[in-house]
Amino acid sequence: MHHSYIDKFSYQNSIIHRLDSRVKVITVLIYTAMVISLPKTYLTVLTCYLVGPFALLVLGKIPLKFAFKQVLLVSPFILVLALSSPFYDRASLTVPFGPITWQISRGWLRCCVILAKFVITMLALIALVSTTRFSALLHGLQKMGVPKILVIQLGFLYRYIFLFIDKVQHILQARAARKMRNLGFKKETKVAAAMLGSLLIKSINAAENVSIAMQARGFDGHFRTLTKSKIKANDIIFALVAVSLMIFLHFIIRPVMT
Amino acid sequence: MHMANELLSVPVAAGTLGIAAAGLGLICRKARTIVTSDKLALMGILGAFIFAAQMVNFQLPAMPGTSGHMVGAVLLAIILGPNLGAIVISSVVIIQCLIFQDGGLLALGCNIINMALVPSYLGYFIYKSITNARSYTPLRFYIGAALASVISIEAGAALVPIEAALSGVLVVPFSTFLITMLGVHLLIGTIEGIITVAVLGYIKQVRPDILAEIIPGKIRLTKKTVLTTFLILAVIIAAGFSLLASDLPDGLEWAYAQRPDQPDFSPAVENKNPKINAVDEFQAKYSPMPDYSTRTAPIGQTLQQQKELAAGWTSFAGVIGSLLTMAFIYIFAWGLKKTKRQEELNSN
Repeated sequence: MHHSYIDKFSYQNSIIHRLDSRVKVITVLIYTAMVISLPKTYLTVLTCYLVGPFALLVLGKIPLKFAFKQVLLVSPFILVLALSSPFYDRASLTVPFGPITWQISRGWLRCCVILAKFVITMLALIALVSTTRFSALLHGLQKMGVPKILVIQLGFLYRYIFLFIDKVQHILQARAARKMRNLGFKKETKVAAAMLGSLLIKSINAAENVSIAMQARGFDGHFRTLTKSKIKANDIIFALVAVSLMIFLHFIIRPVMT
Repeated sequence: MHMANELLSVPVAAGTLGIAAAGLGLICRKARTIVTSDKLALMGILGAFIFAAQMVNFQLPAMPGTSGHMVGAVLLAIILGPNLGAIVISSVVIIQCLIFQDGGLLALGCNIINMALVPSYLGYFIYKSITNARSYTPLRFYIGAALASVISIEAGAALVPIEAALSGVLVVPFSTFLITMLGVHLLIGTIEGIITVAVLGYIKQVRPDILAEIIPGKIRLTKKTVLTTFLILAVIIAAGFSLLASDLPDGLEWAYAQRPDQPDFSPAVENKNPKINAVDEFQAKYSPMPDYSTRTAPIGQTLQQQKELAAGWTSFAGVIGSLLTMAFIYIFAWGLKKTKRQEELNSN
């Protein structure tokens, strides 16, 4: 079955894809923190902060349409949060912008700022995961000190999620084909419980088989890989560029524009 | 319940990330002695199960058109024990953040605490204290599972407004947000309780051997763990209540205790937060009626107005500059692609 998951571009090859995952994770984390710490009522400065994720996406050859579509997909919750602010904060403001000046309530301004911050941080996250293979990301995380059990757990999870999503879609399709109306809460719950219970039993059986198969192949709780992640010249250049961009934004653009 | 980056300030995000990382680190160290290599596969696949289980939706009563789904933290804690359950649910939350983008990267710490650590341990503790080995009855087993689901989900939901309020980003009054979250999650928790009990009932009928190992177990939580858990919860609740208390006298004012528009007003709370000061400053700067009086000078002539217009032009320049930069990067990347294709054609 068809899945729309966001790391489908992570197997491409580009300058950004070839970078070490640790450098990218740390850069995106710091960048996100910088965006979040911006004042709540300055909208225009956020456009400058859009440059970073945009550069990553474009240089990483990620289609912009795909990235914005992903942002839209996850936006409903934040939309509710953002749209609640105009109701609580009606103080009116005059915002000059170049040749134009207009009036806006502070609530709406804050709403726009929340949405803009959301778009930028999400684009940064999309840029990270769609330019880094999940296995490389995990390897980097382990190098940065994430416990091994958690890393193995994440690796297993990533391997089996799509298999199980497939299984559950089959089950859901079967229910949709047989159930033509609302059955009432009691019957609905019973059906859902049977679906979940059988899925749980299936997964426990699958786990038994998988662990027998893995032990037969000599698995003793350690993954041994050939890849050695080393910081290369490219990574250092990328880190320097990112740091200078962040310094420029934080110490020059931010004080001037706010 | 996934929190977004925008609900948090950087210090709170960093603090919760630190707490979550330390907690997970401790749990992983503790789990190293329990986990055998065959448990690893079980944990991974049960994580995938939780993922799939969250996709099974069913119609809710009384509200046509809405559907609920399972969260599964308590079910996993019952099946795997709280330590392994917490690791599995945390990994699910991390994957939801990285691959499916539910919840922000900075909010990951909060999300792990709210949805993985608190439900697993609190849920397991409630379940175990109701269903202990000596006085086991099937009824107690089900009541324990149901209550654990409801309370652990409520506890996680209550943490969301507390964390947001600690960050000082709330636009909505804290008590309103808290009551809304608790109300909505009471419903979600009840549904979770019902579905958890129904699934456990189904498994007991079909594969009683899976549950057989779990039921006669002893309480695996030591006294120390329980005490620490309660201590942490107490601190969090105290922080929440102190916010609620200061929230009671006048709605949002706690954030604006220092009022630039009333110079005589001596603030009860000195707020040194630069963001809040920035907002106040902004308000003072752009307010059309500073100090509750209309502007005396005509627009466009005062120093203040000139400053405002200058600020407008700076932001204008900033936006245009950024757009130009992005256009430049786009063209650069396009050119890079083109030359590469040319090279490939030439080499062929």
